[in-house]
Amino acid sequence: MALLELKNMNITYKVGKKRVFAVQDACMEIEEQDAVGIVGESGSGKSTLAMGVLRLLSPRIADIDGEVLYNGQDFLKLNEDELSKLRWKEISVVFQKSMNALSPVHKVGAQMEDVYRIHFPKASSEEVKKKIYDLFQIVNLSDRVYELYPHELSGGMMQRVSIALSLLFSPKLLVLDEATTALDVVTQGQILSEIMALQDKMKLTRMMITHDVSVVSSTCNKVVVMYAGRMMEQGYVTDVLVHPKHPYTQGLLRSFPSFTGAKSDLRGIPGSLPDLSIKPTGCVFADRCPHATDQCRSKLPEMRTVGNKWQVACHLAEGENNG
Amino acid sequence: MRRYILKRLLTGILMVVISVALNFTLIRLAPGDPVKMIAGLDDPNPEQVRVLTEKYGLDKSIPEQFVIYIKDVLHGDFGYSYVNERPVLEVIGEKVVPTLMLSLTAMVLAVVLGTLIGVYAARKNGGPFDTIMCNMSYLFDSTPSFWLGLILMLVFASTLKWVPTSGMVNLRAPATGIGHVLDVMHHLILPVSTLVIVQFPYYFRIARSSVLQVMSEDFITTFRATGMKEKRIFNKYVMRNAIIPTITVVGNSLAFLISGTVYVETVFSWPGMGRLLYSSISKRDYPMLSGIYLIIALSVAVMMIIVDLVYSVIDPRIKYDE
Repeated sequence: MALLELKNMNITYKVGKKRVFAVQDACMEIEEQDAVGIVGESGSGKSTLAMGVLRLLSPRIADIDGEVLYNGQDFLKLNEDELSKLRWKEISVVFQKSMNALSPVHKVGAQMEDVYRIHFPKASSEEVKKKIYDLFQIVNLSDRVYELYPHELSGGMMQRVSIALSLLFSPKLLVLDEATTALDVVTQGQILSEIMALQDKMKLTRMMITHDVSVVSSTCNKVVVMYAGRMMEQGYVTDVLVHPKHPYTQGLLRSFPSFTGAKSDLRGIPGSLPDLSIKPTGCVFADRCPHATDQCRSKLPEMRTVGNKWQVACHLAEGENNG
Repeated sequence: MRRYILKRLLTGILMVVISVALNFTLIRLAPGDPVKMIAGLDDPNPEQVRVLTEKYGLDKSIPEQFVIYIKDVLHGDFGYSYVNERPVLEVIGEKVVPTLMLSLTAMVLAVVLGTLIGVYAARKNGGPFDTIMCNMSYLFDSTPSFWLGLILMLVFASTLKWVPTSGMVNLRAPATGIGHVLDVMHHLILPVSTLVIVQFPYYFRIARSSVLQVMSEDFITTFRATGMKEKRIFNKYVMRNAIIPTITVVGNSLAFLISGTVYVETVFSWPGMGRLLYSSISKRDYPMLSGIYLIIALSVAVMMIIVDLVYSVIDPRIKYDE
């Protein structure tokens, strides 16, 4: 059984009277100890998907339906208390802007201690301190950080603090939401390799959200490509990012410079994201797709399997229809 | 830290000296002549005018007068009030207490009420309570204090006769001891209410918007994701972050405690600094005015330093030692 399974998940933002369909019909599976990357351009719904899975979107601003099965248990049906028991212990997150991940007027150590006591309220302070110092060591931070305020740390150090915080209860599933995007490439490389090492050591399952295809290709096993709130293509990195079937994946890959490829290969995808408050009749990518046919504009393509766990939502891709 | 305080003290002194010099010069350059006020006639005796002008040193040039004034002040002599014929400090000392009684009471109430209601409204953001309070805050914020004072007086003093119309004590039935205290408190109700009503919107909106802003910060999402109880997030993390802007505005208003209630003091005939300032201006009582401005400048300077120090305790991002 998959550790996390999304079934037909929809997330709709409520903006006044308007409805923004940020995530549509998301289906995916994450096996235990797997590493799955979710890529897509800004506004494609990657972060919304993660926030929805974590139930961090207030019902006041967003409607969520579908199923989010964690070990077979539907996350969306849990009440706040049941959810609190699972939070951070089972699933933890490293957020996009880690510089703001902690309160600026409280010390780093004290805040981590506070988080530790959510699940172990009776822990002695030596025990908590030791746990936090151990984590600092794992993420290559000095013990000194415990007594510092967030603003006294560099971006890379705060990122490490966020990672240490996320590992506080040795969670099964770690969600990294653009966790290294704001860092320089050198620090990003260091932190990514540290995360990969940790993953083996702590038997983590990783969900990595990023717009950087190179991060996914170098650190993930599987990949999900999202566009305008829909999943376009998913499968093993070695399949999807090497022989992409979906025109969007192809375009996305062409917009990144290859290390060895010719310079002339670099090309963007003309056009921009469609208005997410209007549900299109056909494929969401049809307007920008160079191969779009009449069928693409009139009929929503269903996910079809084209290989081992390799699925593509495109009329033009060949394969068995499993919709 | 010590160096910072020293630096702030020096700039504070400089600020006080500059503001005193400016006030000293501007009052004397403004039209109107205290001597004519004191002589009191449309066509005063030239001899009397000459004697009075010499007596008050007004025949000397302004820079000369200023040097003499500063010398005297440094010796603790703030001069004599032309109008009251009494030492300036003595008059100010008499008026400071009633003013502080009025403005401090009002401010404490306005800060506490405004902040509590603001925080509560922010928690119920978008709800009926929030909407009503926001609209009320705009209404009261644009209400002139003298007008509101008169209306309250009309309703609660003249018509309902619950409270006295004006003054600080009942002159017809002077009381002593506890009776005096109760009498003063009775007289305080209307002017304090007026001030609280016009001041509370300020603290309400600062508290409300700063709580809302902190609630949308990323670290709140972090704590929610960790499963921390909403109550704990709010009481420990939101409040500590959201209180900082309130401290700023409280500090700024503290500096104007002794001069900020002119209208209300005038409307309610409250024997305080505001009325003293007003009557001193209209009677061109130069030494009195210089003395009042000096006290105001001093209190602003001192309050600013205190606020800065409180900051460094509350917000660790602010450090003064380089």
